[in-house]
Amino acid sequence: MKTKRIMLYGTFLFLAALILYPQQEVVMSLKDGMPAIPLAMPEFIIHSSTPEAKSIARQLHQIISEDFKYSRVFQLLPKSHYSWIRPLNPKKIFFKDWESIQANVLFVGEIPESEDDNILFEGKIYDVKSGHFIFGKRYQGEKNLLRLVAHKMADEVMKIYGEKPLFTSKIVFVSNRDGNDELYTMDYDGQNQTRLTFNRIKDYMPAWSPDGRKIAYTSYRKNSAGLYILFPYDQRRDEVISKGTNYAPSWSPDGKKLAFCSTQDESNPEIYVATSYGKNIRRLTINDAIDTAPSWSPTSREIAFTSDRGGTPQIYVMDAEGSNVRRKSFGGSYFDAPAWSPTGDMIAYVSRVDQIFDIYILNLRTNQTHKLTESNARNESPCWAPDGRHLIFSSNISGSIQLYTIDYDGANLRCLTTKGTNKLPDWSN
Amino acid sequence: MKKIIILSLSIFLIFAYFISCKPKQAPEFTPPPAPAPQEQTPVVKEQPKIEKVEKVEEAEKKLIDIQFAEPELSEEEIFLNKSLEEINQESPIQMIHFDFDKFFIREDAKPVLEATAEWLKQYSTVKILLEGYCDERGTEEYNLALGEKRAKSTFDYLVSLGIAPNRMITVSYGKSQPLDQGHNEIAWQKNRRTQFTIIGK
Repeated sequence: MKTKRIMLYGTFLFLAALILYPQQEVVMSLKDGMPAIPLAMPEFIIHSSTPEAKSIARQLHQIISEDFKYSRVFQLLPKSHYSWIRPLNPKKIFFKDWESIQANVLFVGEIPESEDDNILFEGKIYDVKSGHFIFGKRYQGEKNLLRLVAHKMADEVMKIYGEKPLFTSKIVFVSNRDGNDELYTMDYDGQNQTRLTFNRIKDYMPAWSPDGRKIAYTSYRKNSAGLYILFPYDQRRDEVISKGTNYAPSWSPDGKKLAFCSTQDESNPEIYVATSYGKNIRRLTINDAIDTAPSWSPTSREIAFTSDRGGTPQIYVMDAEGSNVRRKSFGGSYFDAPAWSPTGDMIAYVSRVDQIFDIYILNLRTNQTHKLTESNARNESPCWAPDGRHLIFSSNISGSIQLYTIDYDGANLRCLTTKGTNKLPDWSN
Repeated sequence: MKKIIILSLSIFLIFAYFISCKPKQAPEFTPPPAPAPQEQTPVVKEQPKIEKVEKVEEAEKKLIDIQFAEPELSEEEIFLNKSLEEINQESPIQMIHFDFDKFFIREDAKPVLEATAEWLKQYSTVKILLEGYCDERGTEEYNLALGEKRAKSTFDYLVSLGIAPNRMITVSYGKSQPLDQGHNEIAWQKNRRTQFTIIGK
């Protein structure tokens, strides 16, 4: 009798759990998207006994681990799990072992013996369930390119899993660390901060072209704020326009057009569009209000922008030809700096409430917004990473203005800069 | 046989002519380098003369300047003798300030702009740059637009006071160059401004 009752209670609880559980799961999956793939990456195998090879192996392992952790696509298995199974033998892999510690993907890294001073690195990816070799790549490079070798390897793995490469992308930004606002670049993780422009004038608001070969930016020359295109690999600079104040450049993702804000006619800030080489400048907005901060949709068919045509700055979307304008932001009195996500379904923007700027994300499918940053500070200039899972923005939360990255769900806040003030970031493809 | 002799003779003659020509040509070409230095030397000799002439001219200029400096210069002439940097250091045109998030000309700015217009009429050749600035409580993009609006409303007001539009250029710096680095209402009020730079006289 008792057991029956227990069983009855048990089934009831089970049913209740069944009813409740799926709802929770739906919420989770909406928020987090695809669950991360469990990946095992044991220590890399070294084919020479020099201490240098050991150090290279350790560094490569660490950088690639950091990349995978950052990706949100892979989830690295804890190191302690590896001690429960037989050590990895690259000639004969016991996939059942790796399956037993719940790895889906196995990354095998090897450092072959190098005859010269260069780094040699070999990475292979296996599907654990089937035991199939998926992909392998061998890199050779000078020692100072160790980070690049690691990032390239991690990016290749991302590509295999249908993701956009992220770790070799570059961030361009404005810093006054050397006394004057100049352009700088850095890696996604804040490494390799490099100065790009050398002059005594103010360089401002840079934006990468989709192919990463050009940077459009504002430079205060000739008593105006002109728009220029910098070719960082060719040591060349082209002028787009030097009349009036020209800023907030944004390249269309198909690489064909360059939108920007300009006051060239009647000193009123309006949105203009030019070819990718800055020719054939055409005006898109015509009114007495401020229109600024254009950001292209990933299809290159629409442009999000800021306008105060309704009295306060709000986010609008228009077709690439300037027609069909509709308002996208509601419930606030100050919105700016829209950034259309590369996935196309989200627009990040800044909202000002009581002198505090926070970044919000508008989901275009559901028209719901969620607050990304929560701090008593000014968080602004959001820009998406090419994979659409991370954003970079500037914040004065630590006192001075610095650059931070954050995941799309508000996790994993990181500070990337410390010297001087650093602002106006743009993430390359 | 005769033909062959004539041919060989003619060939010999042609060769002989060429051979005789070549040594002739060589001396013909060699002389030019010789006269060249001869030509160069007089140039070198002339150069100091030119320098002397210049010096004399400069000295004369200075003399003239001193002679003309004795009589009193008008305010305009004193002004025109200064460099642009000197003029801008004295900042002859007072900046004007704006309300938070606004770009209309405030009542307290109007007399300042009227004085500016008078000054611009007095120095009728001066060209000015109108620089619009904002405080830190706006976003980068919108502030650059707002700064331009502030410069433009100043521009329009000066035009309404009779200043020719082609004497003025507007530019915006947004919030990138605050006068006061503070984070309080006094600093913010200072930073919301249109500032004037003289760019031509």
